[in-house]
Amino acid sequence: MPQIIIDGQRIEAAAGKTIIEAALDNGINIPHFCWHPALSVAGNCRMCLVNVGSIKRAADGSIEHDADGNVIVNYMPKMQIGCATPVADGMVVDTQSPKTESAQNAVMEFLLINHPLDCPICDEAGQCKLQEYSFEHSKGKSRFDEQKVHKPKRVELGPEIMFDGERCISCSRCIRFADEVAKQPAITFVQRGDKVTIENFPGTTFDSPYSMNVIDICPVGALTSKDFRFKTRVWEMSFNDSICTGCSRGCNTKVGVRDNTIMRIEPRSNMHVNEYWMCDHGRLTQYDFVNENRISEPMIRNSSGQLVNADWNDAYAKAAELLRGIKHQEIMVIGSSRSTNEDNYLLAKFAKSVLKTNNIDFVRHFNEEFGDSFLRTRDMSPNAHGAMEVGIAHHAHQGTSIDHLADKISQGFIKAVYVMDEDIAQIPNIAAVLEKVQVLIVHAHNINATAQKAHVVFASSTYAESEGTFTNVNKRVQHFTPAVVTKENERYMGMKMSRWDKFGAFNDRWTQGERRNSRMSWRIVQGVANAMNAQWHFKDSESVFEEMTHHVDGMKGMSYELLDEYGGMIMGRAGSPEVKTVVYESHYFKPQVS
Amino acid sequence: MEQWLVQSLVLGLKMFLIVNGLLIAAAYLVYFERKISAWIQNRIGPNRVGPLGLFQSFADVFKLYLKEDIIPTLANKGFHAIAPVISIGIAIAVYAVIPFGEYFYLGGEKVYLSIAPHINVGLLFILGMSSVGVYGLTLAGWSSNNKYSLLGGLRSSAQMISYELSMGLSLIGVLMISGSLDLMQIVQSQTGGQWNIFFQPLGFIIFLVSAFAETNRTPFDLPEAEPELVGGYHTEYSGMKFGLFFLAEYVNMVTACAMMVLLFFGGWDVPFLYETLGLEQGSVLRALVQFGVVVGKMIPFLFLFIQTRWSLPRFRYDQLMSLGWKVMLPLALANIAVTGIIMMIFQ
Amino acid sequence: MNIEKNTEKQRLNFWEKIYLPEIARGLGMTFVEMFKPKVTRQYPEEVWNPTGSYRGRPVLVLEEDGERCVACGLCSRVCPALAIEVAAGETEKTKERYPIKFEINMLRCIYCGFCEEVCPEEAIVMSKDYDLVFEKQEDAILDKDQLLIPMAQLQDRLEFLRQYRR
Repeated sequence: MPQIIIDGQRIEAAAGKTIIEAALDNGINIPHFCWHPALSVAGNCRMCLVNVGSIKRAADGSIEHDADGNVIVNYMPKMQIGCATPVADGMVVDTQSPKTESAQNAVMEFLLINHPLDCPICDEAGQCKLQEYSFEHSKGKSRFDEQKVHKPKRVELGPEIMFDGERCISCSRCIRFADEVAKQPAITFVQRGDKVTIENFPGTTFDSPYSMNVIDICPVGALTSKDFRFKTRVWEMSFNDSICTGCSRGCNTKVGVRDNTIMRIEPRSNMHVNEYWMCDHGRLTQYDFVNENRISEPMIRNSSGQLVNADWNDAYAKAAELLRGIKHQEIMVIGSSRSTNEDNYLLAKFAKSVLKTNNIDFVRHFNEEFGDSFLRTRDMSPNAHGAMEVGIAHHAHQGTSIDHLADKISQGFIKAVYVMDEDIAQIPNIAAVLEKVQVLIVHAHNINATAQKAHVVFASSTYAESEGTFTNVNKRVQHFTPAVVTKENERYMGMKMSRWDKFGAFNDRWTQGERRNSRMSWRIVQGVANAMNAQWHFKDSESVFEEMTHHVDGMKGMSYELLDEYGGMIMGRAGSPEVKTVVYESHYFKPQVS
Repeated sequence: MEQWLVQSLVLGLKMFLIVNGLLIAAAYLVYFERKISAWIQNRIGPNRVGPLGLFQSFADVFKLYLKEDIIPTLANKGFHAIAPVISIGIAIAVYAVIPFGEYFYLGGEKVYLSIAPHINVGLLFILGMSSVGVYGLTLAGWSSNNKYSLLGGLRSSAQMISYELSMGLSLIGVLMISGSLDLMQIVQSQTGGQWNIFFQPLGFIIFLVSAFAETNRTPFDLPEAEPELVGGYHTEYSGMKFGLFFLAEYVNMVTACAMMVLLFFGGWDVPFLYETLGLEQGSVLRALVQFGVVVGKMIPFLFLFIQTRWSLPRFRYDQLMSLGWKVMLPLALANIAVTGIIMMIFQ
Repeated sequence: MNIEKNTEKQRLNFWEKIYLPEIARGLGMTFVEMFKPKVTRQYPEEVWNPTGSYRGRPVLVLEEDGERCVACGLCSRVCPALAIEVAAGETEKTKERYPIKFEINMLRCIYCGFCEEVCPEEAIVMSKDYDLVFEKQEDAILDKDQLLIPMAQLQDRLEFLRQYRR
């Protein structure tokens, strides 16, 4: 492999790699705007200019030294862009010298000539590459006295994307993304020189299901999300690692939270799952149900038939009392492919060892139209594989399946239904017979038709409030952490909350984001089980997962720590994990220090 | 009317006048303290409650009565409650023997301007009582169960004991000259301008300094040094209990001034005054003038007390102790010796 | 400075060491002060009008076409007492962003003036208001209507900032 020297550091890089890639693999960050590891090289921003040369050798091949004994390097007369120059053996690269710095300064000054500098208004402020490099590589003063060029602002490039021509630095990342990744070449440069701007091809609009990724890769605030536009500043949010629950791909995400409300969801890079991207559906639909229409307290149906708020222990006792009155084989337990492995594992254990029933199943959520060849899958729930693996599955000729549930209820064979995080009233034939069920116990996070018919409703936490694991379409088990604070996880969250949520006092209006009294489903199951004398003592999600690794074949050898380290592990292959990849963050929000 | 009844009535009336007079005097001392401090700092001072702010002190006391009386959970409640009572009670009890004049005849009855006249241990009584007074502060500090209170209480007891010695010794010279412990006689021995201040200047200075220390006034207000001890022994007191400590401090101040006037400045004696005015021995008018003279002589000392507080900084604790033991005590002893020798020579 | 030479013993002469003359001098000084003119201002009757440099209640500048504030949130971020909350919205004006909600909790505010210093639009300035009285905690949270002050009333402060702010 070619050996090169970057800033005096000897580096081995695979042939064909560019300087910027070789540097990044070894932790050296060369400033850049237009280069992105997943996109083709454009080389038009000139920010990654570096000094490239080779060591001067005498005729006999020996290294020449100057009077002070330093090695003499013959640099090329002109600087090279790191993103388009392949490494060659013996190459000497210099990213720190005054010459490089002056080149970076010059490029920054050129880029800022027509930039409106409207950071106070711009949504990108706080995680903007241009801002960061202005601090690091710019003089902070402009010598440009003339009128700045005015370009179209507030242009809708697609249904979710707003374009601001003045802020654009013409890096072409979005154009390359549309061409190469989204495979919908709908946007292009028009005009030339300082008038250059981006437009849709006539008659097209950039409405690819992956269109919103251009907002993330745009190094400046030229492309902004219509959904998020001006909602909050970047630094006012806390970002916690999560997993998208929109489909079974399990794209890694970061959840931005302020006032205990999810403001936006953005992709987190995981080369084994979603690389750098996620779909618009996941971004736009996976937070409304966390923020709104929630059940925030457990509820019991009282003697007059009304659902009233109750204490957790009362609700557990009530559920246990109701379940005791039903014969074992007349109870149906419904798990959920939208709940974590931990929830489903403990529910299965509850069904088998406490309720002693084998009527277990879960509802599938298939949508053939949703799937595509890139990230989106036809299974629109995040954890179907996991639920089956941990024991929420109907075995042929044993117990009742979800398909036969309606019949069994109407025939009177099933008298009690225990539903975890699933709206079974959405299934028409079950909804028709739900009134006949004597005992309906429901875990629900949103007020839905099933919860309204239930006798006991437990307020369960959504994925954004839970810690746990999902098993994706490729049977990859991935760990995620909570982002939204509930009364249950308040102490766990601690400093992971945003500044506002962390320091709010009771008389501050801005902490009105509600801290709901919901619990993770496995904890609710444990509560009901303990009310039926099960005596389980799981402290946190990790302790449930720890037990799973002993009892579930596919998860042997796993732990939260290992899952975090390797970006998830494929079931049954914990012994031979894949290589860890270098994670590239195009531009990141520096964590706030309060 | 039977004589015992008349005597009791007169005694009761005198006690009533003395106690209330003292409390009102203390209240107005607070007012003047605030006024004088304001003037020294080029301010105006209280001027909102009543004309010239004259009712300010009553408003303050009224406020103290209305305030919540907080007793700390871990305090020793009995002692906590009794400490301010000891303080103010002892401070007022001293006035049993302090004469404000001689006597007058009221319907053939001889009325002394003192509650207990001709007690031949009067001065000893005062010194003894002021020693008991330290119990109030020490108990307050200890019973509050607060480290700052305790430190304040300890400081006050140490300070009182240290300065009591030099205070007592500084008066020995006066006793040697007058040959009595009865305050009435001490005053009478100074009649005609033979004031003790002329014979005992050093004794007076030692007494003055010790009096500052005994009354916990700046520059010796170590027991309640705010920068170090929050409020000192009364940190945990609120409402009127705090108010009682406050009043006791001012009553003690009046006591100290009264003693200075009686022991060193001839009490009600002003040369040729009574002769010039032609006031007979035993007339009511003469008694009133005597009272007026005593109070009039006290006023400059009260002013000195107040002005000192707003002029001088507080002593450091070690400075306080070394001053008391290494300077005041030797000086007082020397004063006795010198007085004795001179008296021996001139007899 | 030689510390050895500066002990109390060496600094003070005999008369100073016995304190009494110095105490008399000190008392004389305070006594003289008592008769000097008083500086007290009778506040509710005599109102003080601060100069432009005074840092009173922070307010928002109101121009003819609405507020200057673009809801960038920098004041809210820099505020050491977390007194300011801003929520932004979109308008049709050239400055696309405006505050839908701008609240200052005057119970939290410490009048440090950081918000004014950090403001890129000179939209939040410290006014001359100093007599702030609230009867309820909720009253102390000032909303946008209470904060917006016409620019004409803030000329002194704006002039001060123009002269002394870098």
